[in-house]
Amino acid sequence: MTDRGKTDLVVLGLFDSVEQAAKGACALRSLPLPAHDITTLSSVPLPDGAVCEDTAPIRFPWAVAAFWFVGAAAGLGLSLVTYLDYPLITAGKEIISVPPMIIVTYEIAMLGALLATLIGSFRSIGLARLKGRKARKVFDPRIHEGKIVLCARVEHGDEENRAIAAMKETGGLDVRAEEGEL
Amino acid sequence: MSAENHLSRSGEERLYEELSRSNRVTTRWWYIGVAGLSAVVLWAVAVFVYQMMTGMGVTGLNLPVFWGMYIILFVFWIGVSHSGTLISAILRITRATWRAPVLRGAEAMTAFALLVGGLFPLIHLGRNWRFYYMIPYPNERGLWPNFRSPLMWDAAAIFTYLTGSTLFLYFGMIPDLALARDRSSGWRKTLYTILAAGFRGTHRQWRRYHVASTLFAILIIPVAVSVHSIVSWDFAMAKVPGWHSTIFAPYFVAGAIYSGIAAVITVMAVLRKMFRLEQSLTPKHFDNLGKLLLTMTLLWGYFYFSEFLTIWYGRLIEEWAVLSSYGKHYLPLFAVMVSCNFLIPLPLLCFRRIRRSIPALFVISLIVNVGMWTERALIIVPSLARRNDPFVWHNYFPSWVELSIFAGSIAFFALLYVLFSKIFPVMAVTDIKEQMFHTTDRAMGGVTMASVSHEPGEDET
Amino acid sequence: MKHRWAMVIDMDRCTGCGACVVACVAENNTPTVGEDEVEKGRIMHWLRVARYWKKELAEVRPVFLVVPCMQCQQAPCEIVCPVYATYHDEDHQINAMVYNRCVGTRYCANNCPYSVRKFNWFDHHWEKPLDEQLSPDLSVRSRGVMEKCTFCIQRLRRGDETAGKEGRKVRDGEVIPACAQTCPPGAIVFGDLLDPESKVSRVIENPRRFRLMEHLGTEPVVSYLKKLRGSGR
Repeated sequence: MTDRGKTDLVVLGLFDSVEQAAKGACALRSLPLPAHDITTLSSVPLPDGAVCEDTAPIRFPWAVAAFWFVGAAAGLGLSLVTYLDYPLITAGKEIISVPPMIIVTYEIAMLGALLATLIGSFRSIGLARLKGRKARKVFDPRIHEGKIVLCARVEHGDEENRAIAAMKETGGLDVRAEEGEL
Repeated sequence: MSAENHLSRSGEERLYEELSRSNRVTTRWWYIGVAGLSAVVLWAVAVFVYQMMTGMGVTGLNLPVFWGMYIILFVFWIGVSHSGTLISAILRITRATWRAPVLRGAEAMTAFALLVGGLFPLIHLGRNWRFYYMIPYPNERGLWPNFRSPLMWDAAAIFTYLTGSTLFLYFGMIPDLALARDRSSGWRKTLYTILAAGFRGTHRQWRRYHVASTLFAILIIPVAVSVHSIVSWDFAMAKVPGWHSTIFAPYFVAGAIYSGIAAVITVMAVLRKMFRLEQSLTPKHFDNLGKLLLTMTLLWGYFYFSEFLTIWYGRLIEEWAVLSSYGKHYLPLFAVMVSCNFLIPLPLLCFRRIRRSIPALFVISLIVNVGMWTERALIIVPSLARRNDPFVWHNYFPSWVELSIFAGSIAFFALLYVLFSKIFPVMAVTDIKEQMFHTTDRAMGGVTMASVSHEPGEDET
Repeated sequence: MKHRWAMVIDMDRCTGCGACVVACVAENNTPTVGEDEVEKGRIMHWLRVARYWKKELAEVRPVFLVVPCMQCQQAPCEIVCPVYATYHDEDHQINAMVYNRCVGTRYCANNCPYSVRKFNWFDHHWEKPLDEQLSPDLSVRSRGVMEKCTFCIQRLRRGDETAGKEGRKVRDGEVIPACAQTCPPGAIVFGDLLDPESKVSRVIENPRRFRLMEHLGTEPVVSYLKKLRGSGR
């Protein structure tokens, strides 16, 4: 992980095909560069391990499950509170009528899960960042032309030069170093 | 990309150009279309205001038929909204390879049909301006709504489904919005930049995006099932002959999926023609949609026959009065329903030639939705018109007010769609690209077949 | 529970004259909607005299069934109202209707098997000087609101108030709805079942007694006495 004060340095290179990008990634890994510092930018998702790997665990589905229960509790609470705070007899049914509670609990639970999926996935993907927007994220719009951009986080100096060389050797185009975050 | 796959063959630029035509090119017809649809919608709004100021008496409703056209339309539009959930969510989870070009259209239909359908509980209220009494907010009089009422279950369910399907639609659009962001300028670029929320397409982002998409799909399916079950329970919970039936929940869900698929076919056929998407929406896609439609025809027929047989056989006196009316006053409606839902689609959809003919399938899809509208009318009206006490029996026919609002709802749906296709990517470009990326040609002896790769599952190597 | 009001309608005494309906209209600010609206099925009368024709051998006879609100103890209309505009009044053990809470979903009307609930399809106006006949004891309902027979609850409440001020219980026959008060042959008997001495407590034991659509489980408090058949009738 990097110092707060300095921005990262990232080396980027454009590749025409998955095979070439995979060779480039292999070369970078043998520099050596750790796997979590190498990633791709692409217009379609590439299979995990094709060029690089995402080893960080995906945790937000647990949050979705947790918020399902939060929503269920909210639904249960809503129906229970409205029953008890305003108790009127309807059709001779008991004040705490259970089957409608099940329905309302279920719906609010699903609502909780859906909202948690959006918010959790946004946080996990790194979208809609309100804090830390100042840090520039690397990007190249030429991915929409079919190019795969291989990116590697490097230290200034020797590592940077070796990464650039490795990419150029394996067929990378417009290989350059930029200040920014992966 | 790999030199051999279909994506590199056709070229991403060209593909984008073809699929985003609706956003980039605005013809005179678009303006005329929007103007026409807006006029119908505004007329319907004016008629609604008239109804609100004058009273529900301007409709054709009466005692005992207290629910009529508006509730029919409510159920109809919520039914149409099951299109997106089935096509998008279920096909995503089952990894059906042909789903990509149909995804966005279907997901958008869900959100818009829900928006339109969700208006009807407000339109049909006697005192619409007091609709907020149904919202559970703390107030100084200590009043709360009654959650024992199926109408409150409706409120919870439709709110959840509307939120969920809008999020589902938005989330599915994010990579396409990112693509559009990088290809546009001016106000569009600003809009897409905000909505794309900084999606770049790193490997990490894609992987999490894929997990989240799958999770959305898994969550939205039970919500869709529950929504139409709850809508059916508006009827099933009542002590009305012909309504109080335990089969209503699965019957309505099956009917909803049926009309949803038919609506998807209708909309996709129109989109294909209007935006010249012949390359992406091929007869093969319509063939598959046609097969789904055939399955649902059979399923609908199964549920309907079960319901009909039970009532006919049991001959309970109150239910019998309702069923007899199908052979008398409601015979034309009944004939239309059975023909349009079953007798016409079933034999036709069995033929591959018809399923692959887009004009034929378009007509069949319209017929099915006419049949499904009639089915809802037949569930709601005769049961009320021929209920318990014969002294109060009375027929129902919608008035010009209800017909105007009917027309307005269709126009509103179409208008939402037209505006959506102008501003947002109406084809799931990224999904189409992904599908093509995974498709290569494989030679097997004398033939060449398309071969689709997918990521290995957990028990595969 | 202060009272358990009940009503017994003797079909033998009922002549189908309809005076009860007129009395109800007069008492409860019921609007007259006009012939066209009645044809459309929008009559506002809370009480109806349903006439059926019964064929017995060579004879066809009318049967008059006076149908007020059954004030069901397990009222199906109550549970489907999303805003509690109708619920079980525990003091009087009848079905309460709250006009200013009603949003007009009309679900209660659908769930009433007796079709006794009426909906205000329009706002109603009484031309002068007819507006002077309106009772100040209850409201004039706006459009979009459900209404139904209330056993003249304004009279029931006034009776409780009067008796309370005098420090006694309500006497049998002191408080009756307009229909029971008006019925010329006295076919409608109304009273409190909690009072074992009341007329209604005796009449309800009559073996001719039946209730409408009992199989539905609504537990109506309105009963009927079967019309007597036999020679000379």
